[in-house]
Amino acid sequence: MTDHTADGPAEDGAAEGALPADEQALLDAFTRLAPQGSLRWIFEDAMRRLSTPTERSTWIEPWDGLPEDLWDRGRGARASERVMGDVINVVAQELTEYTQRIVDDARRTAPEEVAVYDALRYLAARVERLESATDPLGIRPGELDLPVADHTEWAASVPSWAGVGTGDTVVVGELDDRSVIDALVRAGVTVDAVDPRAAVVWSVRSVDGPGPVDGWGPVAVGDVVDHLRGVAPSSCAAVVLSGSVDRASLAGKVELVDGALRVLVPGGTVVVLARDQAAWDAEIAPPVRDLLPGRPLHPRTWALVLARRGLADTEVHIADRGTVHAVVARRPR
Amino acid sequence: MNGSRTGGIHLFVPMLHRRDAVGEHTRTLRDLLGDAGVESRIYVELPDPETVDETRPFQEYEDDAVPGDVLVYQVATSSDMAGWLTGRPEPLVLNYHSITPPSSFASWNNGIARLQTGALQELADLATHTVLGIGVSEFDAAELAAAGCATTLVVPVVNVDLSPPAPDAVRATELAASAAGRGPWWLSVGRLAPNKAHQDTIAALFVARATTSPDAHLTIVGAPTEPSYAAALHRYVADLGLTGAVEFVSRISDAELAARYDAADVLVMLSEHEGFGVPLVEAMIHGLPVVAFDAGAVAEVVGDAGVLLDTKNPRRVAAEVAGLLGDPGRVGSLVAAGRGRPEQLGLREAGSVLVTALLGVADATRTTAMPARPGAPVRP
Repeated sequence: MTDHTADGPAEDGAAEGALPADEQALLDAFTRLAPQGSLRWIFEDAMRRLSTPTERSTWIEPWDGLPEDLWDRGRGARASERVMGDVINVVAQELTEYTQRIVDDARRTAPEEVAVYDALRYLAARVERLESATDPLGIRPGELDLPVADHTEWAASVPSWAGVGTGDTVVVGELDDRSVIDALVRAGVTVDAVDPRAAVVWSVRSVDGPGPVDGWGPVAVGDVVDHLRGVAPSSCAAVVLSGSVDRASLAGKVELVDGALRVLVPGGTVVVLARDQAAWDAEIAPPVRDLLPGRPLHPRTWALVLARRGLADTEVHIADRGTVHAVVARRPR
Repeated sequence: MNGSRTGGIHLFVPMLHRRDAVGEHTRTLRDLLGDAGVESRIYVELPDPETVDETRPFQEYEDDAVPGDVLVYQVATSSDMAGWLTGRPEPLVLNYHSITPPSSFASWNNGIARLQTGALQELADLATHTVLGIGVSEFDAAELAAAGCATTLVVPVVNVDLSPPAPDAVRATELAASAAGRGPWWLSVGRLAPNKAHQDTIAALFVARATTSPDAHLTIVGAPTEPSYAAALHRYVADLGLTGAVEFVSRISDAELAARYDAADVLVMLSEHEGFGVPLVEAMIHGLPVVAFDAGAVAEVVGDAGVLLDTKNPRRVAAEVAGLLGDPGRVGSLVAAGRGRPEQLGLREAGSVLVTALLGVADATRTTAMPARPGAPVRP
């Protein structure tokens, strides 16, 4: 018997032949791990061209099917999610162009040029050290047992703080106890949700299909920063940040705020739901706490950070019965 | 065999690796030719320390050449040998094992992508200089023809052991113990290289655990031949929270591999590009049901003895595996069909067919004036 299977009807509004959004998001999470476009990928490629005799003797043009977003993908996968942030991206761009020039010159003039080889090797070693210094253990959110934050104290308030309703789009990263998303959905808002923990995302999925749960739209699997980078500028009425804002380093926190600011319409709202520091220390297992790049900021510190990044009208809501504080700010009109 | 034969049938391969499909095929073919009374040596571009005693640098062939020689090039990647072979006057046979598309590697290692681009260019050059192209599958033979080979033949790989080694008893006991109380055990066998698309199997496992089979787990057996891809697989597993559910294994003995085939419940193979797919046959020999994506030669190898998927939609893959494993009757039918598949594929006689084909080339060469192929320079 031959068991050929066939695609069923398109699900979740997906075009025929296309994967449902949630499954595509799952596969995209792997695609983003490809090093193409990263500094390491480019250096290693350059080193190979200089050090591999066969490639030197028979020059073959690079495969030309590179995607147009090559640089962004590499940046998202490697550098920006780490501590170095935008600075290293600028440096990386410069180094990349410099390296390419060196390789091109070396190929034309003196393939055996030891100084060029050594210079590249030196630069490659520096990159390697930078990368290992920023993320020495390479621990991923999915590996850590992170307790789900209880947002119920503020969930009902989020739509009114943000002043959103039917027709508005709100980015929510991450899911946590889902109460904020449920409240936004009840208010008629289109929710664009993202969480790097695939298990959390799929826990809200039905067994039989990818269809919306309780009115939710698709939920992306991915880093919140990367997700924000894919959202059109000035297109969202509000951004709700939780979870990752607590775990990220200070540079990572700033990158999240900047990403949110970029996608907000003028007058749009950022809501930071930050865990209480004492509760964080008490609830999270020491190994997890120690290995995370960052810890929650105090609400007053958040107010300062948001102001320094250009947000205004900051309000701080200290937790009364829960362990999550809310900090609300707006993009100036 | 013809005892008056003066020339030999010599095999050329960029590197000769043990436990590698092309390497083992080449070694087996050399032995088969030897058994047939034909002198056969293996020439390489680069020596592998593990097989260096079995090979000679290809540049030394110039001194070894005698009239009546036939050269057989094992094609799978780029090599300086290719250009050199096109300049040789001896009849050239291509034994083609598929060239992985450059696009598979570009995101991970542009050097490999360039090499594969070069390999495709070399194949096109070689094809017009060859007297016979032998593909290990219809899929490969079609690629040879498309590259310009005027005469092609399909002979499957000759190194599949139809009587596999007994499983390592100690390992088998350990694996049985570790499987107790756990859910379905998926197995995937193949190098950690991008064209193998192990990430799709991992994604499908993730969905299976999130939906129908919370305790399903996966073992991936394969050497990490592309380090950046292998690292990404490990990271993906961590991202998906599957660290305890996915196991990576490499450099194991044939006996341990046999134990793993026996311990698993299903072989899941979602490779993007397969010129043959030896693990499919190995699984069938071990009585393991197969769920595979229909790519390259997979369909012709699996035939009616497995579940062929025309999508890698993770939810669909997970459902197919769950549906299959939940239907013992269907599993039994597929396993029974699988056990007969090696015979249907002609694997038992593949060696003798290949040797006969090569002897035919040698005999044709001996009875006709040199050069035996177009474009080759005449030796002084």
